[in-house]
Amino acid sequence: MYGLTQLFSGLTTAALLFLVAAGLTMIFGGLRIINVAHGSFYMYGAFIVSSLVGTALTSSAHATALFWTALIVAPLVVAALGALTEYLVLRPLYGREHLLQLLATFALFYIFTGVSLLFWGGQYRSISIPPMLQGHLTVLGATLPVYNGFIMLIAVAVGLFMWWLLQRTPLGWRIRAAVEDPEMLAAMGTNVRGLFTGVFTLGTFLAGLAGAIVGPTQSVTTGLGAQILVSAFIVAVIGGLGSVAGAAIGAIIIGLSQAAGVLWAPQFESAFIYVAMILVLAIRPSGLLGVPEQ
Amino acid sequence: MMDGRGKIFTHGAVPLSLASALVVFAILGFVLSPRWLFFFQGVFELGLFAVATNLLIGYGGLVSFGQASFYGLGAYVVALGWLHYKIPFWILFLLAPVFGAVTALLVGMLALRARQLYFALLTLAFSQLFFTIAHQWYHFTEGSNGVFGAMVPRILTAPQHGYWFILGVSVIAIFLLWLVTISPFGLTLQAIRENRKKAEAIGINVYRHQLYAFVIAGAFSALAGALFVVHDQSAYPALLDWIKSGEPILMIMIGGIGFFLGPLVGAVIFQFAHNFLIEYTHVWELVLGLILLVIVLFAPDGLLGLLDSRHRGEVREKMHSRLKRVFAFRNNRPGSKR
Repeated sequence: MYGLTQLFSGLTTAALLFLVAAGLTMIFGGLRIINVAHGSFYMYGAFIVSSLVGTALTSSAHATALFWTALIVAPLVVAALGALTEYLVLRPLYGREHLLQLLATFALFYIFTGVSLLFWGGQYRSISIPPMLQGHLTVLGATLPVYNGFIMLIAVAVGLFMWWLLQRTPLGWRIRAAVEDPEMLAAMGTNVRGLFTGVFTLGTFLAGLAGAIVGPTQSVTTGLGAQILVSAFIVAVIGGLGSVAGAAIGAIIIGLSQAAGVLWAPQFESAFIYVAMILVLAIRPSGLLGVPEQ
Repeated sequence: MMDGRGKIFTHGAVPLSLASALVVFAILGFVLSPRWLFFFQGVFELGLFAVATNLLIGYGGLVSFGQASFYGLGAYVVALGWLHYKIPFWILFLLAPVFGAVTALLVGMLALRARQLYFALLTLAFSQLFFTIAHQWYHFTEGSNGVFGAMVPRILTAPQHGYWFILGVSVIAIFLLWLVTISPFGLTLQAIRENRKKAEAIGINVYRHQLYAFVIAGAFSALAGALFVVHDQSAYPALLDWIKSGEPILMIMIGGIGFFLGPLVGAVIFQFAHNFLIEYTHVWELVLGLILLVIVLFAPDGLLGLLDSRHRGEVREKMHSRLKRVFAFRNNRPGSKR
């Protein structure tokens, strides 16, 4: 059942892409900023876990506990960094040209890359999968690594949480209202600036979480952020910038088309996703669930 | 300053600077060490890339995050034509901008359907698509190894000859681009940037003007890519990716987006950061990022904007208000700046 195995691998990719793209799309929806540095937060999540856990993760209970701790601490540290970034760099740029905002995050991308080289060097680092999550499941004759199942579970949990947060809480109403008309919201007494900081912090938290859980599945290096960024953009754009539900749909489309690429045209596997994006945008220039830009 | 003479001076400044730069750098070619010759080869070739990109960003208000598509394409036309078909270098060198123009026409026809950020992201997607093709079509492009070898005629491989060649071609190309910016077409492009609706209302075909600008920028970016091959004698996938697309934008911002020659100043600083900082610190990205961030926050008109005496008072005032804004943002009314 090679096909089903590929399907699982595609869904794992989709899960990670969703976590990163959900933050990206939320930040765009609220702040109207294309965050080029988003991948860097993801990369930091992975690096922090690698520093906390180290490479020698043996079967001891201590090591497992360390992994779970790292999984919580890393996204929190990344979120704090995100909050600081929004406060110091992005706030002064609200209301200015898109180009300047884009370039500020591009500058941040360079800075974060440099800082990560300073702290962690250019080498590849690897993190072992904690003993509890090692091994494989066999589903309908196809193999699914337990850890990949874990990644999918986290993504589904985050997806449900985001749905609840955005649709069912006063905070979610405010975030959605900020996308529609921030001035009106401010006039009604909401601290929109603070809300924006919150949205950015939540978005970077998700990126940090995705980075933290991806660590054990691949080697951790500085290039990690640049790699995922483009795919996450494509997911967000296909779904429609600003729409978290769109990001979920986009992530599944991209994850599955990558899996299809591996199955049918391995040589051009990653070209599939760009073609998918160009096709979607040629037909619907604002993405599947996006609202047209004025 | 607003009289006719001031205007003539500003118009004359570009060809005058280009001509004197041509003479000065041509003479410098006799005295510079190979290392500096190599350094300036990079400056000229990147400078042309950035000036061409600024036709879109600065003059057209079109933020393309995919100009590396055409830059890398230019390099690959020369490299692959040599590798597979043994076509003489000079023919390939002339073909590169043609390929750039045709590809830009096709990409532009799709990408210009979208506006602003979606346009930026679509161009980025095309750039990554080309990158992926170069990276994965191993049989044709040699994959991530890239193409290396004696693809440049021996007469150009001597650092001094290569230097003069790149200098000459870049200066002529930049001059041609300047002619574009002062032509009726260039002025129309700026009018569209200023007010798209008004331009449409007086009967300007916005889409067609922007498409032509995209084609011209693509052709000259490809030419810059072909010059890169003279400089480096290789072509590899990283010439096509989004980080490469960001480089000319970085140069434009550092030098000054509103100045025709601004990107050249940015190219010198970029090349310096890239070539020399790398010896003292392996984190040149950090330095470059900090420079860009400071410019974005405090001097969005770039270095030339700071130097420009006509605007100096205005710039100081702007910087002051920006500093205030950065350090006293608490006082800003929420949402009021959007």
